[in-house]
Amino acid sequence: MENKQAPVAAREDPFDLFKLSSRWASGEAESSSLEIEAEEIPSHLNTLNSSGMFHMVSTDKMSVQYVGNPQHGYDVGAVQANCPAPTRRIAYYFEMTVKNAGQKGQVAIGFTTKEFNLRRQPGWEANSCGYHGDDGYLYHGQGKGEPFGPTYTSDDTVGAGINYSTQEFFFTKNGELVGTVSKDIKGLLYPTIAVHGPNEEVTVNFGKQPFRFDIEMFMFKERQKQEELIGKLTLPPNVSHWIVRSYLLHYGYQDTVNSFDVESGIMSPHIPTPQENGFKEHGDAYALNNRKILRQLNLQLIRNGDIDSVFCKLREWYPQIMQSDTSVLCFLLHSQRFIEYIRAGNLLEAVNYARTELNKFFSVNPLNNLLEDVVALLAYENPSKSCVAHLLEPQQREFVADAVNAMVLTTNPDMKNNKECEISSLEKLLKQLTRCSLERRSLTGDQGEAFDVRKLAENVSCR
Amino acid sequence: MSRLWFVPGQLNATESMSTSKKVITREEWEKKLKDVKIRKEDMNKLVMNFLVTEGYVEAAEKFRMESGTQPEIDLATITDRMAVKKAVQSGNVQDAIEKVNDLNPEILDTNPHLYFHLQQQRLIELIRYGKVEAALEFAQEELAPRGEENQSFLEELERTVALLAFEDIKNCPYGELLDLSQRLKTASEVNAAILTSQSHEKDPKLPSLLKMLIWAQNQLDEKAAYPRINDLSTATLEDPAV
Repeated sequence: MENKQAPVAAREDPFDLFKLSSRWASGEAESSSLEIEAEEIPSHLNTLNSSGMFHMVSTDKMSVQYVGNPQHGYDVGAVQANCPAPTRRIAYYFEMTVKNAGQKGQVAIGFTTKEFNLRRQPGWEANSCGYHGDDGYLYHGQGKGEPFGPTYTSDDTVGAGINYSTQEFFFTKNGELVGTVSKDIKGLLYPTIAVHGPNEEVTVNFGKQPFRFDIEMFMFKERQKQEELIGKLTLPPNVSHWIVRSYLLHYGYQDTVNSFDVESGIMSPHIPTPQENGFKEHGDAYALNNRKILRQLNLQLIRNGDIDSVFCKLREWYPQIMQSDTSVLCFLLHSQRFIEYIRAGNLLEAVNYARTELNKFFSVNPLNNLLEDVVALLAYENPSKSCVAHLLEPQQREFVADAVNAMVLTTNPDMKNNKECEISSLEKLLKQLTRCSLERRSLTGDQGEAFDVRKLAENVSCR
Repeated sequence: MSRLWFVPGQLNATESMSTSKKVITREEWEKKLKDVKIRKEDMNKLVMNFLVTEGYVEAAEKFRMESGTQPEIDLATITDRMAVKKAVQSGNVQDAIEKVNDLNPEILDTNPHLYFHLQQQRLIELIRYGKVEAALEFAQEELAPRGEENQSFLEELERTVALLAFEDIKNCPYGELLDLSQRLKTASEVNAAILTSQSHEKDPKLPSLLKMLIWAQNQLDEKAAYPRINDLSTATLEDPAV
């Protein structure tokens, strides 16, 4: 796994293979994607860490009953969830239903830190917060509470949540929001419920059953508030237009650029032409000149998979990038040639090709791993239905075309720093956005949702 | 000298962690940026979404062919939408209204604001071309009844009719109504309404992503000093101010 992550084999290839696209070894790109990592979510009550003799947790670990004889304030039966509330989201929420409020109804719901004294009500101690049933008060780190909401008793369902975007706790009763209070506790917080009187019994719901409160709507509204704020920001005029145009140029979508320019002239006469605008196309101007040549190459590559002539022309026009025959670029082109043989069903020719051109890459780390995927195509009677079928999709050709493209861009003599022109502005902006959002989250105790371009691009289609 | 300063400075930084900002150097930041993987197909989707939503029908078709990205909507619907938009932009409002009704009569029925703005635009065009009598008749018959229904309509109607009181309409206080930007505003309103009627988002994703970038940078500014992108069109990283 590790050697796959290491970017490039041959030293003369300045670009990172995986930067170009995730087409290859898509499984790997999956694992490096940001938000996929799952956080543990509370599912039951913790029975190991308990207050002792004052309560009894049911065998399904979802209910608590008071079994002690309450004498004072230090014989509460408080129980935490099996793990802390997850933080990498906009909000966390859970509910509790009072099955039996006993005589006094001294039940409570809230959040506590790991070190919390489980013989106390949530909210009575520092670093805890709780909404209590007997008085409807909110307790927030000290023995004295403050009026907050209605009391609750047998058959009532109450909920407690953390809103990470506003840094608030919120509580509900029977599906209605009761109120919010600012969250000033740092660190991980455990969902906590408590009983403190004879016969008191409560059941917890960590989301296995539908909640009484519409938490989805709550989160939707929170996101909407954020979007509204963002929507009020202003952009320089036509900036999206130029970013799109520069992207099209960067990847050599010449026909698209031409149509784009013609149509902007007709539809949006207020947008100046590229010449008038003085918009800096830096690396892209060089790209454009080379593009006329590249375009023919890419067409051959993408539409016809005619790799042989691409090789010929690259050797003729850009000998400097074709010097090493074990470069990533050569590898990609040879692999694509092999893939084209497979596509055409010429298995024998594919084998021959592998023997003459591909096998040398088996000794090049990390290309050998990728090569195994490619050669594996031989093993399937119906490769388009195999686990390496993605290699036969049209996007694979585009991936190779992009690699050729990126390589040619690095030959621009005017660019002191090749790194600059390898990446389109759009990609730079998306990377910056992703990084800023992750950085901010890591500086705020890993709380809240991070931006994920993938999610956004995937629901780009109809609402 | 610098060593003497360095040590207490560092201590200070750890003590006042909560108040002082974290400084991220360009080198560290670039390394972190490198680890962020953006998929080509996601960028292609964003570009396609822009082309489709903004109505670049030819470019969208070419982009589909050149990049293999599938558009999220039938490209034929863009052509119709663009014909309406173009009609408004060139001042043929009546034509635009007919075209919208051909597409889907519900669009104007369910958007009184849009319908009013189109009628207002029609009045502006009549005044622009000096058709005073036609303008008066149109204002009285079509627009005045709507102004009675709605206060904001009435105010806009009054502003528009005020144009008639000036001989040199271009330089009068209400001259901005004659600007190209007024046509563009109305055109983009029609465009948005048609998109909504096709259950498509009315705005492309890219501009809101750019806004999100500005917002995310502003938010991070509170916590850290790091290389920012201030010029969105060049996407150049600028060194953190320390």
